[in-house]
Amino acid sequence: MTKCLVMMVAMTLFGLPAFSIAAQDFSGSWVRDNVKSDPAPNMYWLTREPNSGGAGGTGRAGGGGGRGAPAPIVMTVQHDANSLTVTSPSGAVQKYTLDGKPFSKLTDTGMAKAVINASTQGGTIVITTTQPWGGMPGNASLEIREVWSLSADGKVLTVTAHHNAPARQNIYITIYNKR
Amino acid sequence: MTNKISRRNLLAGAVSAGLAAGSMTVAPAQAQQRSTETKLPDVWGQDFLYQWSPPANLKRDLTPGNSPLRLSHIQMTSAEGTDYGALFKRMRDDGWTACEVGSAQWLSRKLKDSDVREIKTQLKAHDVNFYGIHCAGNIIAPDPEAEQWQRHIIDAVHSADEMGCQLILTHVGSMYPNRNTPHPQNWSKEAWTRSVNALKRICKDTAGSKVEIAIEPVNSEAINNPWAQVRLKEDVGDPRIMSGLDITNMVHPGVAFRMTEFTNLVFDLLQDQIAYIHAKDFVWNGMMAGLNWSMNATGNMDYETFLVRISRLKRPTNVLVEFLTTEGEYQQAKRNMRAVAEKVGAKIL
Repeated sequence: MTKCLVMMVAMTLFGLPAFSIAAQDFSGSWVRDNVKSDPAPNMYWLTREPNSGGAGGTGRAGGGGGRGAPAPIVMTVQHDANSLTVTSPSGAVQKYTLDGKPFSKLTDTGMAKAVINASTQGGTIVITTTQPWGGMPGNASLEIREVWSLSADGKVLTVTAHHNAPARQNIYITIYNKR
Repeated sequence: MTNKISRRNLLAGAVSAGLAAGSMTVAPAQAQQRSTETKLPDVWGQDFLYQWSPPANLKRDLTPGNSPLRLSHIQMTSAEGTDYGALFKRMRDDGWTACEVGSAQWLSRKLKDSDVREIKTQLKAHDVNFYGIHCAGNIIAPDPEAEQWQRHIIDAVHSADEMGCQLILTHVGSMYPNRNTPHPQNWSKEAWTRSVNALKRICKDTAGSKVEIAIEPVNSEAINNPWAQVRLKEDVGDPRIMSGLDITNMVHPGVAFRMTEFTNLVFDLLQDQIAYIHAKDFVWNGMMAGLNWSMNATGNMDYETFLVRISRLKRPTNVLVEFLTTEGEYQQAKRNMRAVAEKVGAKIL
């Protein structure tokens, strides 16, 4: 009985985590759960009410169209032992090598550089991006540290994004359900 | 060298409403003394259309200078019963080492000599620089408002003298009574002449004072670009006419994404004509040309270049952080600015 109990404890402490780490595969099509997720952070940090018309204000492009329910926001991920390739809902593709080595790329503005570091840590993937705020040269630095984790059954992806700037720190949680 | 105005440039200026027509139509004799056009240099040569995108691989010189800057906040008051020792201690504790005050409130009460002495004593004790009185003036408004505003500014100069302030800061305004409403003729010869004459009168009526009269540009007002600021000082012909530097007040879509270049251009043009600085930030986030204020060092302003260029001015400069809403936002702005300054080696007292 005692031996059985010890084996169960050992399985719990060591066996199951080892099993789950080995089984972590983030590949798949992931649909954003808009109910359970935090609102996406605004691209702009406005300090007054926007005075412009048209598409301004939220900083989000696109959207769900003019009629009916908004279209689902789908992210596609390909994951193997050494790399993670993410196709964003807008179709942009970003490949990460999960070796923990920093690499740089131009920000979306084309005017500044972002330094990116991606690695596997336990059962999670951690992606850290550091760039001037908004990708504009000369701004305060913004570090975004994303921690990707899967539910035990592999059907729910949680991305916890820590946004760290001198002025403030925020955490945004985004939940995706496997399609 | 003549001051060429191509159709393309004229169109860009008209659409963006950024560059004052008054400063573009320079008299030939004066134009020969000026080597540059009133716009940023072309990126792709004169054959290209709007040059609103920045050049690729723009090199930025981020070598800091030695002049420290002080961060300023509007908390000053002439309200009766103010504990100035506590006020300036709170400023220092919050990281503000300079202040300016709005003229309407400040001039609403005549300070006693003992008040003036107490304020000066407490400023010195807490090492806070009370450098200026801000007059939201409209000295080219339709008469008789122009006259009233000019008298108000003259009163502010005398008060600044009494307090030992370096300057008063003001605007030339608009040819509408509300200076925030752009009048179609704000960039006409008439508006220019009214601006020059109003400032000549203010200088004459405050002759003997050492208080500088710093003019802040605003997009919607008659003075809204750095070239006009240089020219205004020349045309008024008084060394006390100086410039307030509020770069975001001069931004239009044509330069919104060329802020590193525009910042350098402004500092190159104005140099030590700059008497004080206001620090804001902005983004262009809509279909219309309306720009919106954003948290400092998160928008289109290049704060690294901005702070470096301030540190290269010959005299230490006060930098008022604005146009935020809550005290918490002011603290956030201050943290961003101090972090950027630390990164580039610009010293903030």
